[in-house]
Amino acid sequence: MKPSTVNIKVAPSRFKHKVPKYKITRSDACINCGTCAKTCPYGVHERVEGHNKVKRPIDYKCIGFECQSKDFYCVAKCPRKALSLSLNPMYETLGDFRWPADMITGTWIMAETGHVPERTDIEYNIGNSGGGFDKLRFKFPAHPKKVNKSDISTEIPLNRRNDGRANVVISTPVYGGGMSFGSVSLPTMVSKAHNAAMWNTFTCTGEGGYPENLQPYNDHVITQIATGLFGVREETIQRVKIIEFKYAQGAKPGLGGHLLGEKNTESVAKMREAVKGTSLFSPFPFHSVYSIEDHKKHIDWVKEINPDALVSVKVSTPNDVDMVAVGSYYAGAHIIHIDGGYGGTGAAPDIAKKNIAMPIEYAITKVHKFLKDEGVRDGITLIASGGIRTAHDLAKAICLGADGVVIGTAELVSLECVRCGNCESGRGCARGIASTDSELADLFNEAWATQRLTNMYNAWNEQLIEILQKFGMHSVKELVGRTDLLKHIDYSHETESL
Amino acid sequence: MPKKYHIHPKATPLELDYIYKFKIVRGENCINCGKCSKVCIYQAHKRSEADPRKMADPNTVVCRNCFRCIQECPRGALEKSLDTGYVNTGGSYWKADMLITLWKQAEDGNVPVSGAGYRGPFTGKGFDSMWTDMSEIVRPTRDGIHGREYISTSVDLGRKLNHLAFGAERQLISKVPDTVDISLPIVFDIPAEKLSSSIKLAMVKAATELNTFAIMLVADITAEFEKHIDNIVPRLAAAEIDANKEIIKKARMVSVEYDDTLLKNFAVIREKIKKISHALLIIRVPAVKEVEYTASKLARDGVEIIHITADYRGQELNSSAGSGSRHLKDIIRSVHQRLVEDKMRDEVTIIASGGIGLAEHVTKSMLCGVDLTAIDLPLMIALGARIYEEREKYLVLPEGLASIPTAVLEQRMINLMSAWHSQILEMMGAMGIREARRLRGESGRAIFFEEIDKDTFGKLF
Repeated sequence: MKPSTVNIKVAPSRFKHKVPKYKITRSDACINCGTCAKTCPYGVHERVEGHNKVKRPIDYKCIGFECQSKDFYCVAKCPRKALSLSLNPMYETLGDFRWPADMITGTWIMAETGHVPERTDIEYNIGNSGGGFDKLRFKFPAHPKKVNKSDISTEIPLNRRNDGRANVVISTPVYGGGMSFGSVSLPTMVSKAHNAAMWNTFTCTGEGGYPENLQPYNDHVITQIATGLFGVREETIQRVKIIEFKYAQGAKPGLGGHLLGEKNTESVAKMREAVKGTSLFSPFPFHSVYSIEDHKKHIDWVKEINPDALVSVKVSTPNDVDMVAVGSYYAGAHIIHIDGGYGGTGAAPDIAKKNIAMPIEYAITKVHKFLKDEGVRDGITLIASGGIRTAHDLAKAICLGADGVVIGTAELVSLECVRCGNCESGRGCARGIASTDSELADLFNEAWATQRLTNMYNAWNEQLIEILQKFGMHSVKELVGRTDLLKHIDYSHETESL
Repeated sequence: MPKKYHIHPKATPLELDYIYKFKIVRGENCINCGKCSKVCIYQAHKRSEADPRKMADPNTVVCRNCFRCIQECPRGALEKSLDTGYVNTGGSYWKADMLITLWKQAEDGNVPVSGAGYRGPFTGKGFDSMWTDMSEIVRPTRDGIHGREYISTSVDLGRKLNHLAFGAERQLISKVPDTVDISLPIVFDIPAEKLSSSIKLAMVKAATELNTFAIMLVADITAEFEKHIDNIVPRLAAAEIDANKEIIKKARMVSVEYDDTLLKNFAVIREKIKKISHALLIIRVPAVKEVEYTASKLARDGVEIIHITADYRGQELNSSAGSGSRHLKDIIRSVHQRLVEDKMRDEVTIIASGGIGLAEHVTKSMLCGVDLTAIDLPLMIALGARIYEEREKYLVLPEGLASIPTAVLEQRMINLMSAWHSQILEMMGAMGIREARRLRGESGRAIFFEEIDKDTFGKLF
């Protein structure tokens, strides 16, 4: 359920035009009669009195082929048959297998309105990757137990160890991934924290320090200790409720980080306690950890510095991720955060993103089972990330065995990322999301960004509640590990239905 | 510490058009306000030089698909689409995106990097149906990527002994056979297409610079190539041996085509070459059905190196299209397995080629069981070649290539190999493997789709 701090308000696109799915073509046969402008309720056609031509159609406002059955369908209404409707070639240039154009468009609508799209012509829950989440479907019972939406809880506890440390509970089983100061713009980073505070959940600093602007949200910030130890100080560890050790990340499993010298500006260098203009390497792996015993020393150290905080361990997904997870439990971690090979927001070698470590779907399944077999599943929170794109992915991840998820790309898409992938090149993100370029980082303000994120979180929460209602459940905690509620379309002989 | 291996890339743009992905068209309703030129950070939009009142046609080669001009044009006058060159080039294996990334690697030798996560299919055929492993906390070696200068990509070719034998006086009585050491697990296989001698020379010189080899038809080895014979593997049929004694004499390795009579005459052929030179013998075997049987026989007969060649998309040869045709990845696994069962795997060197198109294919082939790979088409793409798969394989070299100096062609191939070398190091670093020789058949460091899927989802659904 959404906390009372959440306010849903429309937060329109910052740009004049949206990316159109359809294209309306007007031929020379048009006689400028204005019928189309009168008939279309969406404002695709505009005729200005005194102009001798109707304006060029505004494609992105068109609802497409489902309009054919409507009595205001412009193509049918045009007396000269001058109009035609087709898919817009532009739409093919948006998105990819994992994030098709429809999914990006759907996420934009959620971020704008706070709710799922009313349009029925976009598939925003399933991508075209042909595997993993994209092949899993829910098996909703025909006659579920009746549950009121207002009685459904989406809260999850993050401390399941009963070790006297803070009982941190988040209101929605989603929190924001670590994106470091320097990799994203300050408005992006601060809006993520602000939204986390409103939703009573968390965001993460990433490796690279704790900017002052985040301090109002200390209770909702996870500070990260990564292999370079950049920006890690006692006071940053002491001011938060959760501390995360980052062993590896899904975008580049097994590789270190590398901040280019030119991105190491004065403020970045200060934060990282480094020399301006030098390239900064985060080695892989922790050079102080050779074994699970060493890993425990790390955790003991941080627990000593902050006696109340929870400890999260972020790892990627090698074959033995299940063993690492159990090891982390015995080393004293509260949260094991597994980051699948297909995710990540930061710049990474393409070869690593595609090839190294397994997709998150398999890793959740393996880790959940292994922790259960070991009898420690109830003592640790399992968080999954790296390829969680939609509310359906979230619910599927939970069915596979996660308690909750971390998202990164979906947050950036809410801020109108188009996934062009040029986060690192030249001046950085052309859309101002992942850029520290003074001009580009000014393309939006924090208030707008916070509202977009809050809206998207709300749309996800509404969808999660709807899924739980269809299963007749009162709490998202009941969904954990319920693989019996999923089917895989390669393994089931039933016909495809959503 | 072993001597460090360095490749020296150098930005070497080729002033020829190549495939680009996006096309932007300026509509007639453009009012030449210049907004697009202000918002584009890649300079795709500029005013016309001839008439600054007007906007020039968009330079879409530089477009990075940020959508800003599209979304901010006050008149909605700009339209973007996939360029027809992009849509029509390549095929189901040699995808246009693959050609573009290889071309870029040849330009500067850099590892391709991008943000926003992976964007491709979940899994695929052949090499796309496996992932490589990495080590998190407990790892076989502790060097990771930052000891990368000391990750060795060297491999050696030749026959190895199963064990050493010692005499009564504890003296070594085994004769240790010669091997040839190369610095990359990649040799160049000069394609059968008609190529100018300038391109072939560039390939040979690049191979020399990289401390590897180029496999070349013996008929093509004219006088100008002879001084590079240390890095050339003459390729010939058994019947051509007598006519080419002079070249074989100088070569360090010789590649002989496999045919049906070869198994029967193998001992004779080997003796013949032995008499001429010390060259190691490679038998080039087409990857047909039951190639593992051939490989096993050859290994038993004492062959030093077996080179298995699949078709240009990594498919088995001569098999009826469809279900029966195996991909190179599976052929390699099967050959490797067969030789392991025969207890001869350590004694022979296996090279695989056909469909090796990306750096990851090299590492994956080795994990599946080969010692090294041979490549052809990526080197052509480095020079701007386009590949078409429909209806049949068709390689188009750019016009104007003839006027490009050999040194430029050579550098572009070196750049490509530099990018591949760095990418192989990334994968090996993540796996915690410091020696390319140890990659061979190390399937425990691979994650195969069929196995993991069966092991997780197969048990649940």
